[in-house]
Amino acid sequence: MKRKFGLLPLLASILTFFLLVPLDQGLAETSAAGGQAAPTISIDKTSLNNGGLIRVTGQAPAGRPVFLEVWATDKNVRANFFDNKKNKDTGKIPYVFYLTTEMPAYYKIFAPKELQPKLDEARKEGKKWSYAKVLKDLGAEDAYSVPAAIGIDRYQATLMAGIVGSRGEKMAAMEAGENRKRSMQLLKSRFRSLDKVVGAEVSVAPDGAYSAEIKIRDGLAPGVYRIVAVVDKNTKSAPAEFENKIAFPTMYLANAGTSLNLLWPFLLTLAISIFGVLMGAGGGFILNPILVSLFPLPHTVVAGTVMPTVLFSQGSGIYNYSKIKFINWKLGVGIGCAMMLGGFIGPKLTELITLDQFKFAFGWILLVLAGLMFWQTTPGYLEKNKKEQAILKEFKKRAEECAKRGESGTATCPTDQK
Amino acid sequence: MKVEFWGHEFEANMVVGCVGGFLIAIMSSMFGFGGGPFMVPLMTVAMGMPMYIVVGSSLLAIFFNTGIASIRHFQFGNFDLLLFACMFPAALLGGYLGPQIAKRVSPLVVKRVACAGLVLLGLNLLGLY
Repeated sequence: MKRKFGLLPLLASILTFFLLVPLDQGLAETSAAGGQAAPTISIDKTSLNNGGLIRVTGQAPAGRPVFLEVWATDKNVRANFFDNKKNKDTGKIPYVFYLTTEMPAYYKIFAPKELQPKLDEARKEGKKWSYAKVLKDLGAEDAYSVPAAIGIDRYQATLMAGIVGSRGEKMAAMEAGENRKRSMQLLKSRFRSLDKVVGAEVSVAPDGAYSAEIKIRDGLAPGVYRIVAVVDKNTKSAPAEFENKIAFPTMYLANAGTSLNLLWPFLLTLAISIFGVLMGAGGGFILNPILVSLFPLPHTVVAGTVMPTVLFSQGSGIYNYSKIKFINWKLGVGIGCAMMLGGFIGPKLTELITLDQFKFAFGWILLVLAGLMFWQTTPGYLEKNKKEQAILKEFKKRAEECAKRGESGTATCPTDQK
Repeated sequence: MKVEFWGHEFEANMVVGCVGGFLIAIMSSMFGFGGGPFMVPLMTVAMGMPMYIVVGSSLLAIFFNTGIASIRHFQFGNFDLLLFACMFPAALLGGYLGPQIAKRVSPLVVKRVACAGLVLLGLNLLGLY
């Protein structure tokens, strides 16, 4: 491993060297083809440690805006988007579920600085911003190329399919234009905020020389990133490459698509699970909303990863109760079967909702839970609970004694539950 | 349905239990929590079962839900191994340390603090502050 890490920057610098060298030839070729000269591009460093600043400079044809398209080439992430908005033309709600696993883990278009007002305008729309509209307003449509070509699956969701917990019937592949349009919606659903996918950082001089300070934020995927300077569809620079490196305890969560210092979720889980024991509710109630709020983790991954962590403590709890015959199997299995059906359907619904809907619903769930907790501190409940706890203790004592003596089915000890 | 427990017989309304359990299971598996604090009131208040039956049996019922939901989340690609690997030992450690600390604090105070915390967190998620 050590050797590999030593070699990578070297490889990267060799690569950039090779990329930079043929540029002059490329320039000549495109000019000869009758189009405008392809822009040149160079960057001041070829590797970053968990984010940092990169200075991009180059020469583009005079008097044209320059856009920079930056994306992660090594790591892809999953993105999904559920189209349940009424179609303006047909008046029908499509209920189509779009899913891709090929979204670059990082993607951003940098526009000329002069276009900042247009970004501010788009920001005013709040969460309703549309990537397609922003790109159009910026004139950056030609710069959008990498995600447009990703493979996207789409499924026709139906109520029936939802009930049996399937994604629905897979539909025919989309043609390029449709794929491009949907990829923008997927991009938005994945990266959520406008600032993560578009920025205005490029200064272009009247003679066409451009420069930009690109900030690669921390917590991004490791690996090779590419930058391409784009003037229009046919006038693009060769890609410049740099590598983003991360080191333990920061690690890349492949499914979540982010690099995270693993110490934080560990400490958070520890604190919350202790508190969970104290208040008599599993940690998931507090852990999930905090995880999605503090870290850039998708809510699907948070829900799907927290669930199995509580499985073990539940299992050991059941084992302990069953040892003292404190479980009514008929009752538990009966309700358990109904819950199993619910548990089969629920995870499907997680990916149909957006993060904001997730947070909103979770907010109400927590308020209801707080209500329940409050009710458990009212004097009437406490009085009742005292009696219940006394009975519980008594039963436990008896059960433990029975277990010790190995008795079963006698006057003081219960028969084995079935 | 008649339920026998330690020589006592109870009448359990399974329709209420199953419908309620089903709905709670959808919610809890969708949002990724266990659901105990909802199941216990359902079984004690709505079904009228005494607490000492409910503690163990509700855990068993929830276990079914958590198990199947974990599998389903895994199938849908929602499971991140590395995140799991870092949270799982923390949850185990918390489960070990929790009961030891629980002996030293008043459950009433904890519940009230939790209550306030949940309201704050809930309002935060609703975007109200």
